[in-house]
Amino acid sequence: MTSLSKSSLTDRLAHIAQAMGGQIHLRTLRDAFASIMPFMILAGFMTLINSVFLDPVGFMGKFIKPETLTTWQSIGTSITNGTLNIMTLLVAVAISYHLCVNRGYKNVIAPILVSLSTMIVITPLTILFTPTGSTEKFLVPGVIPVSYTSASGMFVAIIVGLIATDLFIKFSANKKLQINIAGNIPPAVIKSFNVLIPIMLNILIFAVVSFALKQLLNLDFNALITMVITKPLSYVTTSLPGFLLITSIANLFFGFGIHQAVISGALLDPFLLQNMQDNMIAYTNHQEIPHIINMAFKDTFAVMGGSGNTISLLIAIFIFSKRTDYRDTSKMSLVPCLFNISEPIIFGLPIVFNPMLIIPFVLAPIFSLTVAYFATVAGFINHVVVQIPWTTPPVLSGFLATGGDWRAAALQILIIIATVFIYLPFLKIDEHVSQMQLSKQQNEE
Amino acid sequence: MKNILLVCNQGMSTSFLVEKMKTVAKNENLAIHIWAVSDAELNDNWEQADIILLGPQVGYLKANTEKVVQHSKPVEVIDFVDYGRANGKAVLDKALKIIEAKG
Repeated sequence: MTSLSKSSLTDRLAHIAQAMGGQIHLRTLRDAFASIMPFMILAGFMTLINSVFLDPVGFMGKFIKPETLTTWQSIGTSITNGTLNIMTLLVAVAISYHLCVNRGYKNVIAPILVSLSTMIVITPLTILFTPTGSTEKFLVPGVIPVSYTSASGMFVAIIVGLIATDLFIKFSANKKLQINIAGNIPPAVIKSFNVLIPIMLNILIFAVVSFALKQLLNLDFNALITMVITKPLSYVTTSLPGFLLITSIANLFFGFGIHQAVISGALLDPFLLQNMQDNMIAYTNHQEIPHIINMAFKDTFAVMGGSGNTISLLIAIFIFSKRTDYRDTSKMSLVPCLFNISEPIIFGLPIVFNPMLIIPFVLAPIFSLTVAYFATVAGFINHVVVQIPWTTPPVLSGFLATGGDWRAAALQILIIIATVFIYLPFLKIDEHVSQMQLSKQQNEE
Repeated sequence: MKNILLVCNQGMSTSFLVEKMKTVAKNENLAIHIWAVSDAELNDNWEQADIILLGPQVGYLKANTEKVVQHSKPVEVIDFVDYGRANGKAVLDKALKIIEAKG
């Protein structure tokens, strides 16, 4: 165990984590998504209420007049409008703020406003509208199209937030762009002039680029980013093999004591969140659900009791383990584990630096995600459509995340039981090895 | 009054350890302020701290954290078994020893 903690592989992983964890834009992404998460969860909560409890054709329709239910739904709809449907604006603001903080830039409000302003500058404020009973399309001016400010624009928000903020910080540090006013001018006045030019330049650049794209390629910013970045990358990261690979690498890092978020937070979460949003919006509008793999899908089926579905390891130890220290640690880890916090078991047992436990820790999520994926494909369970807090206890999480499908909760139970038998053989070997080491030590003494 | 800041990924798992440390401090009648934050909140919290303890899962942030605090105070990674088993006494004792050695 100690030899693994000092191995060169451990060093190499630590270096990667250090590089990625210290990389300012990746850090900013992680921090920004942490800020955004409460809004996603609120949207998920309202989606659940509207689609399950206030559904006019659902079970509540038997007790309350369907029209009344429809009226009440407008509360949830307004909240969805202010969260999911303007998510890109929220993301742009959050990215801008956290990039300022991570760069140690004090005047945070200026770059935030620039980012927000830029988001609208690059968005065409018209929609094509077909009135009912007509086949002709009308161009309606003066609207901010929700299709641009909701999930589909996630990467636009990330890119605009990062670039606009970095440009602003660069510009405002440039002495040539500052106005020197002679005489006894109060510093506040000078300061106001000194943000003026960076703001103007910054927004102008985006406006011109956006204009050029439209004139030369007949593309808007949003379409370009979707075509060049979102679509291809999303195809890699949220296809089953890509998703399993990144998740496994992240869990392998955790096996070496490095929090998995350093990998998944940067490489996976933006795509998973975008899919989550797409699904929530489709679910709200009673459309076909576009994605199987999304944020809550991962938490629901691969973070039961914490990363590595460690709730199954706990069960395996409670039933089969003879080591008292394992049993004690597991008892102590039980409560955090119910809320999917696995650090106590990962570091306390420990799983870290212990190859016999790292192997099932990585294998278990591959198994569970594959099973859940194909169960969804086959229609055995509903798609995961609701963002829930990652700390929602297993079984309840499956029920809520699928918009109240008990079969998903049942599948979670089956996966937990099956996963006990993934951990078990490795646990047996691990205990056997430690027993042998112990008796060898005793013999030497 | 001594101030001990713990940092982890979301400030979530570390809060279990913080509670244990607080109990130990209270039982030994020590006036110590102990709190946990996520690494994103480090900027707003480090100045009040006498020592910063990183959860082992964010141990890779040590160099970065030392840079943030401009090497003005000790930054230590918590021993992973002490962390996992929420050994409040061991973590507290080590932290106090380091603060005293510096002070």
